[in-house]
Amino acid sequence: MRQISMRLTALLSMAAKAAFPHDYRYGTNRPWTIAAQRLNPPGKKRRKVFVEPIANEDWHVLRGDTVEILSGKDKGKQGKVAQVFRRRSWVILEGLNTHYRYIGRSGDYRGTYIASEAPLMLKDVTLIDPTDRKPTDIEWRYTEEGERVRVSVRTGRIIPKPVYQRRDGIIPQQWKDGPKDTSPEDTLQKTFTPSLKTLEEEVMEKMNIQEDRRPRKSYWY
Amino acid sequence: MFCCSYILLSDRWRCTLPFIVSSDIVKMAAAVTSRLTAAVCRQFQRVVTVSSHTQSQYAAQASSKFHSCQRRRMYDSWWFRSALNDRALHTSCVRKGLEDFFDLPENWGEQTVKSGAPWTAKQLRVKSNEDLHKLWYVFLKEKNMLLTLEQEAKRQRLPMPSPERLKKVERSIMRLDTVVKEREDSLRLLQTGQERGRPGEWRRNVFGKTFWYRFREHPIPWYLNSRYKRRRFFEPSHVAPYTRLSLEKYLRSKIRKETRENRNQKRLAAMFPKKTALASDH
Repeated sequence: MRQISMRLTALLSMAAKAAFPHDYRYGTNRPWTIAAQRLNPPGKKRRKVFVEPIANEDWHVLRGDTVEILSGKDKGKQGKVAQVFRRRSWVILEGLNTHYRYIGRSGDYRGTYIASEAPLMLKDVTLIDPTDRKPTDIEWRYTEEGERVRVSVRTGRIIPKPVYQRRDGIIPQQWKDGPKDTSPEDTLQKTFTPSLKTLEEEVMEKMNIQEDRRPRKSYWY
Repeated sequence: MFCCSYILLSDRWRCTLPFIVSSDIVKMAAAVTSRLTAAVCRQFQRVVTVSSHTQSQYAAQASSKFHSCQRRRMYDSWWFRSALNDRALHTSCVRKGLEDFFDLPENWGEQTVKSGAPWTAKQLRVKSNEDLHKLWYVFLKEKNMLLTLEQEAKRQRLPMPSPERLKKVERSIMRLDTVVKEREDSLRLLQTGQERGRPGEWRRNVFGKTFWYRFREHPIPWYLNSRYKRRRFFEPSHVAPYTRLSLEKYLRSKIRKETRENRNQKRLAAMFPKKTALASDH
C-alpha cells in the first residue's frame, strides 16, 4: 500500500515539473517567472552559449565572498557576491556593474527607476586576499587535518568560507524552538537497537496486538 | 525539528466538570453538585475538547474517548436541573478531533509562522521502530493540517502563511519512508537473500520488448486464471524481425550520443584551453 502511494506521488511530481527544451537559454530570471517567459517564449531558439566546463569541486567563488572586478565598467572595484550561476559561470555582485531601468510601469506611470546588476563572467573576477586586500589567484589545497580549503597562491593564506545569511533570515545560533519543534537533545537521542524484527512486528509487540489470523494461501505471478 | 504536541486540557475546566465520565459513582457525585456548577457553567455552553494522551498509551485512551463521547447528551438550558433530574450535568457533545486539522490558535491569522528544519535521514536512522511509527503519524497529522490550511487559503483567495512548512513535512515523510525501507531491505537480504520485496522476473511482451514484470497477488493459481492465460508473454513470429531492428536502432542512438558528447568536449577544450597553475589571469 505504501509502495502504491509512493509511486503515485512520484508520478504526480513528474507531471508537475516543468519541462524545458535542451537548448533553453537560462538567464538571470528564474524560468517560471513571467519575465523569463517573455524572454524565452516556447519556440524561440537562441544561439548556443559555450561555457567553460568547471567541475563543482573546482569552483572557488562562493556566495558572500568579497571579489574584485578585473574588466568592465566597474574595473578595480571590490564587492560582495550576491548570486552565483554555475551553469553559465556567472557571478552577480551587490550594487556593482549596474545598469538602470524602470520597473512596475502601468498605463501612463513610467515606474520606479532602479539600478539592476548585470552578471559578470567568472574569469573577470578574482578573490581577494584578506591580508593585503589585493586580488590574488586561488588554489584548492588540503590542510594538515585533511580539510579542503582555498589558498591564495601569492601569500599562502587560507581564505575562509564566507558566512552568508540564509534567504529566510534564520540565524542557526539564535534559533528558539517553537511548540512543534523537537529539541536538539531529543532529536539526537539514540533509541534504535538493531534486532531481527520488522517494524510491524516490533510495533505490534509494543501495542500488545495479538494477530492470530494467518494469511490465506495466495499465488504470486 | 518537528514534533506535534498534543493539546492539553485547559485549567479552567479541571475544577468544574468531571470530563471523561467513566463510572456511575462519579456521575452520582456530580449530580449533587450539578445545581451548584450549573450557575457557573451556564455561560460555557461549548466545550473545548481534549486529546491529552501520552504517546505510549494512545491505543487505550482512544477506546475510552470513544465510549465517553457516546455517553454525552445535549442539555442546553440550565433550568432543567432540579432534584428530579438526578443526572450529571452533561454538556454538548464535544467536537473531538477536528481541531487537529487546524493550527494552534495563536497562529490563526498570522502572515508567517515560524517552523524549524525538517528531519534528516541521518537523524531518523538513530530512532527506534516504535519512535518512527509515532513520528509517521505526527507528520501525517501535520501534513493534513497544512493541506487543510492550503485549501482554505485557496478558497478565501488569500496567500497561505508559510507554505514551505508543507515541503518540509513532505520531505520528512519521504526520508522516514526511505529509512524504513532500508531497514526492511537489510533484514530481508540477511534472512532470505532476496534483493526485492516484491517478486518479479524479466519477460518479453507482445511487442518483443524485454521488461521487468512485477508479480501480482492472486487467490487462484495461474492455470485456473483464464484472464492471465490470455496474456501473451512472447512475441508472435511476424514481430520477431523487428526486435533485431529496434536493438540496432538503440545501439545506433547510444553510439551517436557518445560521439556527440566527445565532439562537444573537444570543441570546448579547443575554445577554453586548460591553463597551467603558473599562468595567471591578471
